[in-house]
Amino acid sequence: MEEKKLKLPYGIPGHNLTEIERVVPADEPPAWPINDKLKVVGKSVRRTDALAKVTGAAKYTADIQLSGMLIGKFLRAPHPNATIRSIDTSAAERHPGVYGVHVITHHKHDGDESGPGEFPEIKYAGQPVAGVAAVDMPTAIEAVKLIKVIYDTKPFVVDLEEAQKPESPLVYDAPVDQQETDGGGGSESGLGLNGNVRGPSRGGGPRGDLEKGFAGADIILENTYRTQVHTHSSLETHGCVVDWKPDNITIYASTQSTKGVRNEFANHFNLNKSQVRVICEFMGGGFGSKHSAGDFGLMAGHLSKKTGRPVKLMLDRQEEHISGGNRPNSIQYYKLGAKKNGELVAMYQRSHGTGGVSLGAGVGHIAEAMYTCPNFTTEQYDVLTHASPGAAWRAPGNVQGAFGLESLIDELAEKLGMDPLKLRDKIDPSEIRKVERKRGAEKFNWARRKKANSDTGTVKKGLGMAQGHWPRIVHIDSTAEVRAYRDGGVEVRSSVQDIGTGTKTIMAQVVAEELGLQAEDITVSIGDTAFPDGPSSGGSIATGSITPAARSAAYQLKLKLFDQVAKNLGADASDLVAENGQIVSKKDAAKKVPFKEALRKMRYEQISASGSRADDYEGFAYGTIAHGELGSVQFAEVSVDTETGFIQVDKIVAAHSCGRPLNPKQIESQINGGVIQGIAYALYEDRIMDKATGQQVNKNLHQYKLPMSFETPEIENIIVEEYPARSNTDAYGIGEPANISTAVAVANAVYNAIGVRIKELPITPAKVLAALNKA
Amino acid sequence: MKEDNTNESQKNTGISRRGFLKGAGLTTAGTVMLQSGLLGKDKETIAAGEEVGIEGVVIRLKVNGKMHSALVEPRDTLAYTLREKLGLTGTKVVCDRGSCSACTVWVDNIPVNSCSTLALEVGDSEVTTVEGLAKDGKLHPVQEAFIEHDASMCGFCTPGMVMSAAHLLETNKNPSLADVKNATRGNLCRCGTYPHVFKATLEAAKKMS
Amino acid sequence: MNKFSWYDAKTVDEALRQADTTVSAALTRDPGVATIIKSGGTDVLDFIKEGLVVPARVVNIRNIKDLNGITYDPKKGLRIGANATLSEMEGHADIKANYLAIHQATAAAATPQLRNMATLGGNLAQRTRCWYFRSIDHKCLRKDGDRCFARHGENQYHSIMRNGSCVSVHSSSVATALMAFGARVEIVDKNGEKKEVEMDKFFIEPLQNIRNETILKESELITAVIVPPVKSKVKSIYVKGSTKSSHDWPIADVALVAEISGSKCKNPVVVLGAAAPVPLKSTEAAAALEGMELNEANAKAAAEAAMAQATPLEKNGYKVDLFKAIVKRAVLQIV
Repeated sequence: MEEKKLKLPYGIPGHNLTEIERVVPADEPPAWPINDKLKVVGKSVRRTDALAKVTGAAKYTADIQLSGMLIGKFLRAPHPNATIRSIDTSAAERHPGVYGVHVITHHKHDGDESGPGEFPEIKYAGQPVAGVAAVDMPTAIEAVKLIKVIYDTKPFVVDLEEAQKPESPLVYDAPVDQQETDGGGGSESGLGLNGNVRGPSRGGGPRGDLEKGFAGADIILENTYRTQVHTHSSLETHGCVVDWKPDNITIYASTQSTKGVRNEFANHFNLNKSQVRVICEFMGGGFGSKHSAGDFGLMAGHLSKKTGRPVKLMLDRQEEHISGGNRPNSIQYYKLGAKKNGELVAMYQRSHGTGGVSLGAGVGHIAEAMYTCPNFTTEQYDVLTHASPGAAWRAPGNVQGAFGLESLIDELAEKLGMDPLKLRDKIDPSEIRKVERKRGAEKFNWARRKKANSDTGTVKKGLGMAQGHWPRIVHIDSTAEVRAYRDGGVEVRSSVQDIGTGTKTIMAQVVAEELGLQAEDITVSIGDTAFPDGPSSGGSIATGSITPAARSAAYQLKLKLFDQVAKNLGADASDLVAENGQIVSKKDAAKKVPFKEALRKMRYEQISASGSRADDYEGFAYGTIAHGELGSVQFAEVSVDTETGFIQVDKIVAAHSCGRPLNPKQIESQINGGVIQGIAYALYEDRIMDKATGQQVNKNLHQYKLPMSFETPEIENIIVEEYPARSNTDAYGIGEPANISTAVAVANAVYNAIGVRIKELPITPAKVLAALNKA
Repeated sequence: MKEDNTNESQKNTGISRRGFLKGAGLTTAGTVMLQSGLLGKDKETIAAGEEVGIEGVVIRLKVNGKMHSALVEPRDTLAYTLREKLGLTGTKVVCDRGSCSACTVWVDNIPVNSCSTLALEVGDSEVTTVEGLAKDGKLHPVQEAFIEHDASMCGFCTPGMVMSAAHLLETNKNPSLADVKNATRGNLCRCGTYPHVFKATLEAAKKMS
Repeated sequence: MNKFSWYDAKTVDEALRQADTTVSAALTRDPGVATIIKSGGTDVLDFIKEGLVVPARVVNIRNIKDLNGITYDPKKGLRIGANATLSEMEGHADIKANYLAIHQATAAAATPQLRNMATLGGNLAQRTRCWYFRSIDHKCLRKDGDRCFARHGENQYHSIMRNGSCVSVHSSSVATALMAFGARVEIVDKNGEKKEVEMDKFFIEPLQNIRNETILKESELITAVIVPPVKSKVKSIYVKGSTKSSHDWPIADVALVAEISGSKCKNPVVVLGAAAPVPLKSTEAAAALEGMELNEANAKAAAEAAMAQATPLEKNGYKVDLFKAIVKRAVLQIV
């Protein structure tokens, strides 16, 4: 491929901004200056679909109504561990208003139903057994109750610690692996299984020599931390509508990956991808849990295929809790060695966690990656239990790991008599976090922080901070198409979906900036696999993957348009620029034409160009992970009532970076969201399983505690612009960084308030009172 | 250990005694009254009340200023009726237990959880849903403010949030932040729009006064 | 929900002739036979949706005009119709002026939407929120089962007193405040006979009747709550301790009503909310406050006394400390 040299802004404005020259593919657009020179990008443009949302016009999957559509409903096993002996669906099939029943069986080849299959083993209460399709939901619910299943129940275990005991019932009797789907979720393969304990996974592999490292330490800390299982509790539950027609299938899915759903569905039913179209125009939250076609997608597929009618299968709230995914819990043991001056010399991390019947209960890479520490080993174990499968949950692993690591580092700072920020300055190589610490500390007035347990009243205030680390993952298979129409319209198209983060809006902004138009001039058509494949919306990858593709597409379209316009203007195409709604010659300002008029004069009804995500300029750090990372620093101010144990988070200052910020207000919304979820994790949420019966006892929204208006603190956001000069937008995501450090910042603030460290989440009144009583 | 999914309490008993009596021109209520021997007095009582059998009845519902008619069963909630029978899907069902307020509508200008209201209870009251807030194409100031201040993310909580916030401003022209928090304290948002919701509502109040 | 028929009653008499089962009793009746009563419906509908109650017929009493209304007379006291909503109670100026604890309890309860729908009668009749009781998967003592799952299970929110057989906590914070004012429940039966029951007799403990939380029978209806007039010196307070302020049941709450002269306290009534299967009058705490100064030491003594009989479970010992704090606060903040 031909290359050229490009000078790009590089660094952090107000800190170390400079310019750098990169070798880039020849067809890349010119370098954008930093935001203050841009017209649309970097501005808080209104969310393109806000109007539809505030008027109730937005149609989510739960709202889709197709002609002849049936309602699907699962029959779920009530037992946490059982074998199905027999299933009799005859009464359900006869029930008036029921048009299809499908029993889940495993066949040698997925999707091939010739010959009897085997009933799957039931391994968690709530596991789907069969599905019905009926005229309406009440009928479907009645029909499900008519399916007769005979189970042989078996002993079970749902508790993380019980499951590790030698006498525990086993979940699997042979080692298991877990495949990755388009939504991730895979686990290191080939690890050993000892009872219910699988592992260890060793992250990136051990560094250095732990023993030597500890030998050279001035101080050694050892601690164990615990975090809870929590569920995503998206407001729109999982579900989809499958419309199975003989030659092609259309699926409306509440999903974070239209592409992922398509691929999985096609694979399961042995179809060509081109036969399956997945649409997601609006979706009500996913937070990591909605990457796959899901058992509901496949069931709706079977039912639609059988009945010849569209089938909508949405989970209800109870099902959402027990089978919609969850963040595994953790028990994390750390041994840390450091020098008097704060330098880390050795760290050992060992964790156990349960993601129910699935794998993926690791504690992330944050302990391994965030701080300089020459000798490091991690051993992360999955513990299988008879509980519902875990799923990716906004910064999987890192949120759990941050609680352990940042609590530990906070304690180290105190033991060394060092300010926590100064300690970070010593051990944190990240330039971006250095700036975030500085700006955050200033805004937060960190200087007012007192020694732990300084307040004398009943309500004690405390200040704490913590940091987050998240890689810049790029998804290369990200393409956008931009079209211009003779009637003046410009459209950008991709299968990427907007899960509430504002992807639609930033794509409009990027295309508008490139074409010298306003964001409102751009029609955004996304969330449809009929359009070029875009990235999934997870891992905080969407922005960094699709915006350069969209810009490339807009740029290529512009060049095509310039070719047509140049002749009419009597100018050189290479002299033309598109700005302020005009196409004008740099050499002669008189040679100009309004953009829309140029479109009207086009030779063809429409022109289009596609752009795909190029490799990062001068390469990635490893794989398709970009250099640098999405570092974050958060500060928390809390009030702890020492008589009741209740905690109020008064204020959070969150300093973040996402490369070039495309839309500050939307970024703030994202950070606010992450912060509030972090507070939920710190203080309220807990998926509570009854050990004796293997059932979740709080599978609703009034006893599964989520923060609402009065729990929302004042949140101040600092967005640190950073230009890594690696792509034509240099923009990255913010979703996950936003909630990695909040909970532990709150925990550190609680320590600062009461002088007792609580090493288990959620920090309930019970835990606070117990900690104070012991003190 | 064997277990049968169809425990005794869920058996379908086919033609029920009730069904037989219905066919015989009497309702269960009638049966009760016959047994208690107060037939004469109770004929008046039946006439005074309102009886709807399990198969439902066609009702008229005034929603957003327009008269609708729909066949509803007694068990149909207002949320279900709005969404499934009247095609007004703006109102969302999230918990179906009255604990998240996503389904907030106004009944005679009072915010209620439509998932916990039965369609038959509405009678001739006026129902206002999020689709009915804008008048003649003009957005309610709360809706404008939500757009301006980015108070929607995934948007699923937005209809309920907007109905709670708009109702506050009908009754309190100069709310404090605490008032706004109190008015929306039943509304769950998982994406974390609260800070912008509060800001938008306070700004809308300023614009309205 | 299952299919049920509907009767919209216009009089109390009609309703009582129609209904043949309380919601409580319907939990253990065969499905598809019971006729139950619904007022605001915020609790009853939950039971039907969960499949815990499968009624044949629902009788709506929400439109019975006789059950509406709140009237106040300084000499006669307060009469709150069973169909008065919690919002109406919250907004009532005379309740706020004279029975502050009741105002505070209603204002702190639930959400604006639920308060707009929930009626006082339904609020008093509502069942415990014990998650085993509310679960179709757990047949507990209260539903004719053979055990209490919470006793050795997830009991972090369960009772710390009077927790012999069933360890549930009742869920009406409004009842807690009403009881502190010596409220009486007016009940009418299907023969039109009226009776008034003291609130602390209205709620019954598991040992008395494991299936019910109140004395209501299927032929009876709450028609009103009567709260006696208060002397001018009477002050009151309701303090709620809950993890979330937005929308959460109390973990510990207390209502305190007393005559205050200067800073001395006479005839105090202390009712503990989320401590037991019924709202619980703490005679011990009251005794510790009688005639005493409302100071830190006496508040603390009352708090200790309130918890002297506490028998916490494995996971709810913290509630003892929490109640002590809440009781102490109520005493110190009542003036």
